[in-house]
Amino acid sequence: MYKIMMFSGGVYKFNELQEIVEDIGGFILQSMVMQTETMMHLAFPAEEEPRIKAKVKELGGKLKDLPLGGAEIMVVVPSLGKHHAVYPMCDIAEFLRRNGAITDMMGLARGVGKRIAQMTVEEKAIINECDAAVFVFGDFKECIEEKVKLCEMIDVPYIIVGGPSASDVDLPHYVGGVGRRTSRMNRKEDIEKLNEMAMALADVLEEKRIELEEDPLSASPLFIKEMIEMILPPKVAEELPIVIHMDGLRVKVEAEDEEKIRDIEIGKRKLSEICEIKKSLYEGYLLEILPEAVAGEIF
Amino acid sequence: MEIKVEGGGEFANASYTNVCNNVFRDVGLRSNIDWVYMYCNAAEHVFIISIKIGRAPSPVKVWDITLREGNKLRITKEEYAPKLLALLWDRYSGRVQQESRVIIRFELEEEEVAKLNELVVYDPKEDLTARMLDGIDRILPEGARVRYPIPSAQGKGITIIASENPISAEWKVKAKELVGRIASSGGGA
Repeated sequence: MYKIMMFSGGVYKFNELQEIVEDIGGFILQSMVMQTETMMHLAFPAEEEPRIKAKVKELGGKLKDLPLGGAEIMVVVPSLGKHHAVYPMCDIAEFLRRNGAITDMMGLARGVGKRIAQMTVEEKAIINECDAAVFVFGDFKECIEEKVKLCEMIDVPYIIVGGPSASDVDLPHYVGGVGRRTSRMNRKEDIEKLNEMAMALADVLEEKRIELEEDPLSASPLFIKEMIEMILPPKVAEELPIVIHMDGLRVKVEAEDEEKIRDIEIGKRKLSEICEIKKSLYEGYLLEILPEAVAGEIF
Repeated sequence: MEIKVEGGGEFANASYTNVCNNVFRDVGLRSNIDWVYMYCNAAEHVFIISIKIGRAPSPVKVWDITLREGNKLRITKEEYAPKLLALLWDRYSGRVQQESRVIIRFELEEEEVAKLNELVVYDPKEDLTARMLDGIDRILPEGARVRYPIPSAQGKGITIIASENPISAEWKVKAKELVGRIASSGGGA
C-alpha cells in the first residue's frame, strides 16, 4: 500500500528526493517549485517511510502526512446561493485540499428547504464518480434529519457537516458545529472543527481502502497514471489532467485521444482490458480499474 | 442593534444571531435598526423575522464628503465619488472636471459654490426598504420561499413570515402576537 505525504522545503538537492522516491517504486503526484520553495506530493511504499524521512531531514525540509491523499472528494451544498457559498463551503474544500484531497464542489439544483429538498439523477451520478462526498447542511436538526434522504441515495461513502452538535443529531458520519456561516472559518476553534471533519472523512475513506486491500485492483492508479503520461504527456499549463481516485482515475483528454488511452499497455495487458472506460458526466473520461480477481494478472 | 433569536435550539439561535449581525452590517443598516427579532420553527418549517427601523440616516451632502482647496474639491470619502461626479456633471456639465482620482476642479461663482456644498449626493432613505428586504432575504433560509409580509402600524419596520409550505392563518396570528410582545418589551435582547 502506498503512503501519500507532502514534502515542503527548499530547492537545494530536492531532485535527490525525487530520485529516491522513483528508485523505491514511488510516484510524484504533484510538484510545484515557487522560486526558492518546493512542494511535492509523494506516494511511496509505506515500509520505505524511514528512508524518505531521513532524506527529508538531510535536506532540511518538512514532511506532512496527507490522510486524504489520492482521493477526489465532492463537496455538496444545497445551492450555490449566498446562503451556502462561499462560507463555509470554500473553507471546507480548502481544508480538504490541505489534507491532500482533490476537491470538486456542487450546488444542488433543488437542494434547499426541508420537505422540498431533492437531488436529480444526474447530480447523483456525478457525485458517485468521486471517492467520497461531504454534504454541507445548515443549523436545524430537523432539516438535517430530513435531508439525510439525499445522502442515502448515493453509493459512495459520505459525511454530513451541520450545525447542531453530534450528540444531538443521531446520524452516522455526522460532524456538528459548522452550520451557516457568514465569515471565514479561520479562528482556532474553527480550524479544530475543520480538522475533526477531515479526520471523520479520513475514517470513512479508510473503510474503503480496507475493502480495496481485501479485493486488490489489477494495477495501482498511480502506476496507470504514469503509463498514461508516457503516451500523453501533460500539456503546458494544464492543471491536473489526471486525477487519481482510490479505485481508478479521471483523465481529462479530448475525444480523439480515447483510442490511444484504450491501447496503452499496462504490463502484458491493454488498459481497456483491465479498466472500464467511460465518459465522465463531469469532465474527461473515467477509468474504473477492475479487481485482479476479475481482470487477471497484468504481468 | 439588538438581536433576539428564539426557537431554533442553542446552536441555531447563536448562529442566526451572528448571521443577522453580519448581514445587516454588509447591507449598511446596523446603525439604523433598533432591534431584530427572529423566531425559528424548523419542525413546521416556519420562520418569522421582524425588524424595527430606528433613526433614519441623514442625507449625505457634498460638504460631508469633500474638502475645498481653492477652486478644487478633494474627495474624502471615495465610495461616493461616482455619485458625486454624476451629480456635478449633470448640473454644471463642462464647468466641473475631474483632474485626478480624488480631485475635482470647478469654474463656478462663489454663490454657486455655496449652493453646490448643500447638494444632496446620496439619501440613504431612498433605498432603505430595498436594502432591508435584501438583508431579510439573505437571513431567512433559502428554502423558505413562501413569504407573508406584515407591515408595522407606524411604518417603521416590517415582519415577514417565511416557509416552504403555505402559511396558515394560525401562524399569521401567532407572528403578530410574538412581534407585539417583543415590541411592547422594548426590543430584542
